[in-house]
Amino acid sequence: MVPLNYYLLLSGVLFAIGIYGLISQRNGIRILMCLEILLNSANLNLVAFSSYHGNSTGQVFALFSIAIAAAEAAIGFAILIALFRVRDTIDLHNINILRW
Amino acid sequence: MFQDFAYLIVLLPIISFVLTLFFGKKFPANGGILAILTIFTAFIISAGTLSEIYHGGVVEQSWHWFAFLDFGILIDPLAAAMLCMVSFVSFLIQVYSVGYMAHDPAKPRYFAETSLFTAAMLGVVLSDNILQFFMFWELVGLCSYLLIGFWYRKPSAAAAAKKAFLVTRVGDVLFLAGIIVLYLNISDFTVPDGAYLLQFQTMFAAIEHIPPSQLTLITLLFFGGAVGKSGQFPLHVWLPDAMEGPTTVSALIHAATMVTAGVYLVARTFPIFLASPDALIVVAYIGGFTALFAATMGLVMNDIKRVLAYSTVSQLGYMMLALGTGIVVGAEVVGMSLFHLISHAFFKALLFLCAGSVIHGLGLQDLRQMGGALGKMKITGITMLIAALALSGIPPTAGFFSKDAIIEGAYSYWTHTGDILPYAFGIIAALLTSIYIFRLWFMTFTGEPRTDYHAHESPPSMTVPLVILAILALGFGLAAHGAFGGFIEHTYSEHLIEEAAEIGGHHLAEEHPHPPPILFYLPIIVGVIGFVISWLIYSKRIFNMSSIISSRNPIYRLLLNRYYQHQIYTEFVAITIVHRVLSLIGEFIDRRIIDGIIDGISWILIMIGEVIRRIQTGVVQHYAAWVVMGVVALMLFLFHEGGIL
Repeated sequence: MVPLNYYLLLSGVLFAIGIYGLISQRNGIRILMCLEILLNSANLNLVAFSSYHGNSTGQVFALFSIAIAAAEAAIGFAILIALFRVRDTIDLHNINILRW
Repeated sequence: MFQDFAYLIVLLPIISFVLTLFFGKKFPANGGILAILTIFTAFIISAGTLSEIYHGGVVEQSWHWFAFLDFGILIDPLAAAMLCMVSFVSFLIQVYSVGYMAHDPAKPRYFAETSLFTAAMLGVVLSDNILQFFMFWELVGLCSYLLIGFWYRKPSAAAAAKKAFLVTRVGDVLFLAGIIVLYLNISDFTVPDGAYLLQFQTMFAAIEHIPPSQLTLITLLFFGGAVGKSGQFPLHVWLPDAMEGPTTVSALIHAATMVTAGVYLVARTFPIFLASPDALIVVAYIGGFTALFAATMGLVMNDIKRVLAYSTVSQLGYMMLALGTGIVVGAEVVGMSLFHLISHAFFKALLFLCAGSVIHGLGLQDLRQMGGALGKMKITGITMLIAALALSGIPPTAGFFSKDAIIEGAYSYWTHTGDILPYAFGIIAALLTSIYIFRLWFMTFTGEPRTDYHAHESPPSMTVPLVILAILALGFGLAAHGAFGGFIEHTYSEHLIEEAAEIGGHHLAEEHPHPPPILFYLPIIVGVIGFVISWLIYSKRIFNMSSIISSRNPIYRLLLNRYYQHQIYTEFVAITIVHRVLSLIGEFIDRRIIDGIIDGISWILIMIGEVIRRIQTGVVQHYAAWVVMGVVALMLFLFHEGGIL
C-alpha cells in the first residue's frame, strides 16, 4: 500500500505544474489543458483521501468533478473556436480589450 | 358657551385657506364667500368670548404636543379685544375685496392667502406660549411676503415682497434669540403641574429668578422683533414699499394684521419689559422718534398709499411710545396702547379702503393728478374725511380719545422723570399728522381735476364696509373710552405689575397730575392748526408753494428722498457692506477654501485611481497570477496565525 503522503505529493506537483502553465502560457488551448491538470490534481486528492479513510464519498465527488470538467472543456473550446473565427488568433495576450 | 369653541377662531380661516387654495375656482365668488363666512364666524366666536370674560376670568386651553412644544389658547382681556378687532376688520376687508378684486384672475389665491394671513394673526393673538407665538409670527411674515408680492409678475412687487421678508427677518432673528436667552435663563425653573415652561403665565412667575441684565437683553431682543414687524425705526423701510400689493392687502397689513403684532408682542410680555431697568425707555424713545420721523416723510409723498404707509409707521410709533411710558404710568399703558391700536385699525383700514376706492374709481395713485373727486365720489370722500379727522385726533372721533390718552401718558412721564422728549415727539408728530392727512384729502377731493379722468363711485360691496368703518372711527372712542382701559387692565394682576416694577426699579406714579389747560388742549389745538394750514395751502392756495416745493430746497429734497434711506440701506448697507464685502468674503471662503479642500481630496483620489487601475490589464494570466498570489498570502497568514510559521 502506497502511503497517503506520496499521493498528496504527486497531487501537489500536478497542481504546481497546472498553475505554472496557467500563468505562463499564452495559447488558449494550452491554458485549458493546464486547467485540466489542475482539476485532475484535485481529483487525485479526493480519491486518495477516499481510499485512505475507506469512505467512498470522495470517489463520487471525483466522478462529478470529471463530468463537470468535461462540460467546462467543451464550453472552453467552443469559446476559443468562436474567438478564432473573429480574431484569427487564440493568443490570450492579444485578447485584452476588456481593461482600463 | 363660545369659549369652548375658541380654537375654531384660528382653525376656521385655516380650513378656508386649504379649501380655497385647492378648490377656489369652484366656489361662489372664487372662494370669497367662504373666506368671508369663516372669518365672520371667527368674529362671532371672538365677540362671544369677549362678552363671556368681560366680567372676569380667562379662557385657557392647552394640549401637549411633543417634547418642548405645547399648543394652547389664552384669551385674557388683552387677547379678546385684539381678536375682535382683527377678525372684524379682516371681515370688512374681505367683503370689500370681493368688489375690489372682481377683475383679478388670481382670486382664489388671493382669498386663500388673506385667509391664512388672518388665521396667522389670530394665532399670534391666541397663543398662550412664546414658542407658538413665534411660529404664528413667522407665518404672518410668510403671508405678508406672499401678499405683497401678489402681482409677482411686476418686478417692483417682487422686490418689495423680498424687502419686506428680509427686513422683518432681521427682527425675527432677534426675537428668536430673545426666546433662546429667555429659555436658557428659566430652564431650571420648576414648573407647576400641567403648566408649560414657555407659557406666558409661567414666564411671568419666573421673572424674579432672572438677573436684571438678562431681562434687559431678553426684552430688547423681543423689542427687536417688534421693531421689525411693526415697522419702527430703523427697520421701517419695508412698510412703505409694501404698497406694491393690492390696496386691500395694504389695509390688512396696516390695520388688522402684521404691523400690530409687534405692538401686541410688547403688550403681551409687558411685565417682563417692566421688570427690566432700561427696556421701556428704549421703547419710548424709539416709538416717539419713529412717530415724528415717519410723519415728516408723510408730508411730502405724492403717492396716496405712501402717505398712508408713513402715517401707519408714525401711528405705530405712538403705540410704542405709549407702552414705553409704562415705567411711570404702569399697566394702564397696555390699555392705552391697545385702545389706540384698535381705533387706529378702524380709521387706518378706512383710510386704505377709501384710497383703494379712489384708485379704483379714478385709476390714479398720484395725488398731483387728482383733485375735485368729491363731486363724483361722495361716500368715499365723506368717509375718508371722517378717517382723516380721527387720524388727526379731533374730537369726538376715536383717534381723539386714544391719542389724547397717549399724549397724557407722555406728559405724566415728563412730569415724573423730567424728560420732555417723548412728549415733544408726540406733540410735533400730531401736528405733522394733521397736516399731511388733510393735504391728502384736499388734494384728492377738492379743487379742480388736474388731469382728465372719469371718476365713478365704487360698488356697494366696497362702500358699505367704508360706512361701517366710518361709524366705528367716529363712535368707537366715544362708546368705549370709559370701559376699555379698565377691562384691559385685568390682563395683568396688580401684584404682578407691582412686583415687576420693583424688580425693574421703577416707581409707578400713584397720581397722574392733570396738565394745565393749555397743555390739556394742546393735542386738539395742534390737530386744528394742522387742518387750517392744510386748508390754507392746498384748498385756498393762499401761499405759493412752488418756492418751498422745489429741488433747490434742501429740506424738501431730504424729505422727498426719504432721508436718503434708499442710499443708506440699499446702496450702502445692502450693496456695499453685505454684497461687496461680506458676501464676497463668504464667496472666497466657500469657493477657494472649502471647495478647495473638497476638490483636493477628490483630486488625490483620482490620482490614486489612475495608478491602481493599471492592474486591470485585460490579460487573463495576470488575473490568475493575482489570484494565486492572494491565495498564497492568505495561506501564509493562516499558517502564521496557527503558529506553524
